[in-house]
Amino acid sequence: MLPYPDLFLWWVATITWSIVFLTLISIYLYVDSKKRREQQGQGLSKFVSDFVFVWILLGLLILYIVSIDRRSAVMFAVGNAVVEIILLAYVVRNRSLSSE
Amino acid sequence: MELSEAYEALGSGMDGLSELEAQHRLEAYGRNELPQEAFSGLRVFLRQFNNPIFVILGAAAIIAGIFADVSQSVAIAIMIALSVTLGFLNEYRAEKTVQDLRRDVSVKAVVTRDGRVLDMDAALVVPGDVVSLYVGDIVPADMRILEAKELQLNESILTGESFPVEKTTAPLKLERATPQQLTNCLFMGTVVAHGTGKGLVIRTGKNTEFGSISKTLARPHPETEFQIGVRKYGNMLVTLTLFLATGIFVLNALVGHPVVDSLLFSLAIAIGLVPELMPAIVTITLSQGARKMADSRVVVKRLVSIEDFGNMDVLCTDKTGTLTEGNIVLDSYRSLDGLDDPKVLCHALLCNSAAVGERVVGNPMDSAVWKYALSNGESDCVKPYNILDTIPFDYERRMMSVAAEKDGDVLFITKGAPESVLARCTRQEVKGNEEPIDRALDSIKTRISEYSKAGYRVLAIAYRPIEKRASYSADDEKELVLQGFLSFTDPPKKDARQAIDKLMEMGVSSKILTGDNELVSVKICEDINVPVKKVVTGANMTRMSSNELRDAVEEATIFARITPEQKLEIIKALRANGHIVGFMGDGVNDAPALYESDVGISVDSAVDVSKDAADIVLLEKDLLVLSKGIEEGRKIFGNTIKYILMGTSSNFGNMFSAAFASVFLPFLPMLPMQILFMNLLYDISNFTLPTDNVDEEYIQRPKRWNIDFVRKYTLFFGPFSSLYDFLTYGIMLFIFAASPSLFQSGWFVESFWTEVLVIFVIRTRRIPFFTSRPGKWLTVLTIAAVAFGTIVPFTPLGGFLGFAPLPGEYWALMVLMVATYLLLVDAGKVFFYRICKF
Repeated sequence: MLPYPDLFLWWVATITWSIVFLTLISIYLYVDSKKRREQQGQGLSKFVSDFVFVWILLGLLILYIVSIDRRSAVMFAVGNAVVEIILLAYVVRNRSLSSE
Repeated sequence: MELSEAYEALGSGMDGLSELEAQHRLEAYGRNELPQEAFSGLRVFLRQFNNPIFVILGAAAIIAGIFADVSQSVAIAIMIALSVTLGFLNEYRAEKTVQDLRRDVSVKAVVTRDGRVLDMDAALVVPGDVVSLYVGDIVPADMRILEAKELQLNESILTGESFPVEKTTAPLKLERATPQQLTNCLFMGTVVAHGTGKGLVIRTGKNTEFGSISKTLARPHPETEFQIGVRKYGNMLVTLTLFLATGIFVLNALVGHPVVDSLLFSLAIAIGLVPELMPAIVTITLSQGARKMADSRVVVKRLVSIEDFGNMDVLCTDKTGTLTEGNIVLDSYRSLDGLDDPKVLCHALLCNSAAVGERVVGNPMDSAVWKYALSNGESDCVKPYNILDTIPFDYERRMMSVAAEKDGDVLFITKGAPESVLARCTRQEVKGNEEPIDRALDSIKTRISEYSKAGYRVLAIAYRPIEKRASYSADDEKELVLQGFLSFTDPPKKDARQAIDKLMEMGVSSKILTGDNELVSVKICEDINVPVKKVVTGANMTRMSSNELRDAVEEATIFARITPEQKLEIIKALRANGHIVGFMGDGVNDAPALYESDVGISVDSAVDVSKDAADIVLLEKDLLVLSKGIEEGRKIFGNTIKYILMGTSSNFGNMFSAAFASVFLPFLPMLPMQILFMNLLYDISNFTLPTDNVDEEYIQRPKRWNIDFVRKYTLFFGPFSSLYDFLTYGIMLFIFAASPSLFQSGWFVESFWTEVLVIFVIRTRRIPFFTSRPGKWLTVLTIAAVAFGTIVPFTPLGGFLGFAPLPGEYWALMVLMVATYLLLVDAGKVFFYRICKF
């Protein structure tokens, strides 16, 4: 049984809120940026690819909630390792673009 | 007091003191220096407490001592002591560095001793010395005037009155006179605004009028853009902290947590949020930069100007000594026949303000005439003459004149800017005969223009016989006979192009502000291949509206024939256009512009008043040296910004999640003492941040303080830290079913690791470690701090602080979690910098 069961919902709410907040901030900054204005009209595909980072965040949220709900340290560890590989690939692939 | 009485009272004479006597007096009276605001370790120490954080800490210690646990009170007191010691040691070293550097900039005085004219350090002047004074000199001591020629002093430093005061040698019969009434005396620190003079030193150092009131005379510099930015940022955080800490206290108390615990916890959160180390980090970073700049022969007089120095995007400079060698040499002294004429040279020697002693001292062009004559054995021609009177140079007339007597005949000789002298000539001397000048005016102007186009600086010589009188004035500069021209060369510097290109590469555009004519200036620029976009002359400027001037300053490369007031207007227009403007100058006329610019740069050979107004003094007048200084300024700015970004991201996120959790958890997520301990460790790890490496691309362009960027950065990166704090809460509560002390230990270690290690990600836009290496000391201290924070829960200190040892499984999960956090922040960085520019 989950220890501190009365705190679990609160915990899910806080971690969800922090990721939702990050997503909202990312969207706000994106919309606010001059770059976005320059690239208007490039369609949904551009929006989706620009927000890969946000999709990773949402994936992390699911991983964390599920692994902790199941009290599975193994799932948590494997999931983290996979996310790290995805993040590494994202960073290496996008680094040159960001330094332009 | 009559002059003879003054000489007698001070045991001196027209030839000054003997060297031996001067040495004795130096021992007796001491160096002619004001007691510097003594560099006091105690002052630096006491300043450490002038920080709201210590009020909060002190309050926390008292509250803990009275209502909670004496051990908590002792722990907080130890943290106060450690913070004060760290801050004191670092700031003491920083201030000492600046004090030492300032000594490199010396003020000179022209002193007559044993009948010889010497150029010496003003600190060696003693009572009884005879000192010569020229336009732009800062008076080195209190003096009785011996000679005065149209001498006017700016005494605003003593009286607040900026209009120059006329000075004479006339004895006064006044009792208890104020300095303003003593028109036959000169006072230390005042500036020669006009004319020349000689004085007999009466009082030196702290015994002078200036010495007695110097403490009240400090003139505050306006805040730099960087200072304003840091202040606004600090205010923003303090306001936020106040609201947050109050909110946490109220909420914690409302949900039923003990009031004292809630109060101590909210105080600890406040301490965690306030960037208490920022003043120390800024001072240390600046002083280290100043020390490095000193290695490049750049002396920083005002530390805080370094940041603006790095961020300046326009440099206004004069031509002489920056684009040219600054070594002016007499090239020709031609009559209107076009041949070198010894009479022209002789008149130039007579109408001359240079002081000739062991060395030739004074205006560079006048000195060049004397140096030429002395090295070619042509100086004896002046011996038969007796100079009756001198009308000194000023920037309005742009000429000087003398009345010289020989065999009972008096000749009035004028030397100055060709167009100014020409305007006062009615005749010309051709092959020994005088003729009306009217018909020859065009050809004379063409000749002047040819000299200028060839890159020569030109002075005209004219004269007229005049009756013998007691004195002469500028009104006598009329109906002159044009005799000839002196041409001077000042060869362009070989590396000037390289230096301008380097500045351009660094995003700093250069503008030439010169009193010379446009033809000479363009020629110099052509010689060194500096592209000239547009030339604006002083005359053009007078016809411009302020809006037109703001456009013109963007387009023009050269501003020629401009007055000191116009230099000031150009600087103001550039600043109004949003530029950070550096001004480099060394003349008396440059002082207002030096003061008005964001960064005033002068050289060690400059007139005193310019050095005094400057923020930065170059010991060598070299634009290449300047680019090294700019680079250093940008590194300093970069490292300061890193601290700010660190504080606003991980630190802020940690405190925010702690505050959030405190309301919902049945116990405090971290004890106040634990938060303070983490804060102290975090501060220690940050002390080597000023030594960090800065990426090359960061120093390629000037940066501006951008509070909007900092705000966005906080909004975006702060939640990352909170996210991983919440995750740690989940792991500790639901996987490890942690007790309060185990929970606090787990979160302490995780938040400390993330808070400190994130510097390696935040410090660069590149791939951390692989393409951007952190500074050696930053790496060592950060890893040492992390290691210490890791082992603390296993030590007696950990027990004292309320920590419990953590299980091995937690460490494995935490390493993975922190790695994901750092990678996520790095990925966030890629995303963030694609849409937010800085």
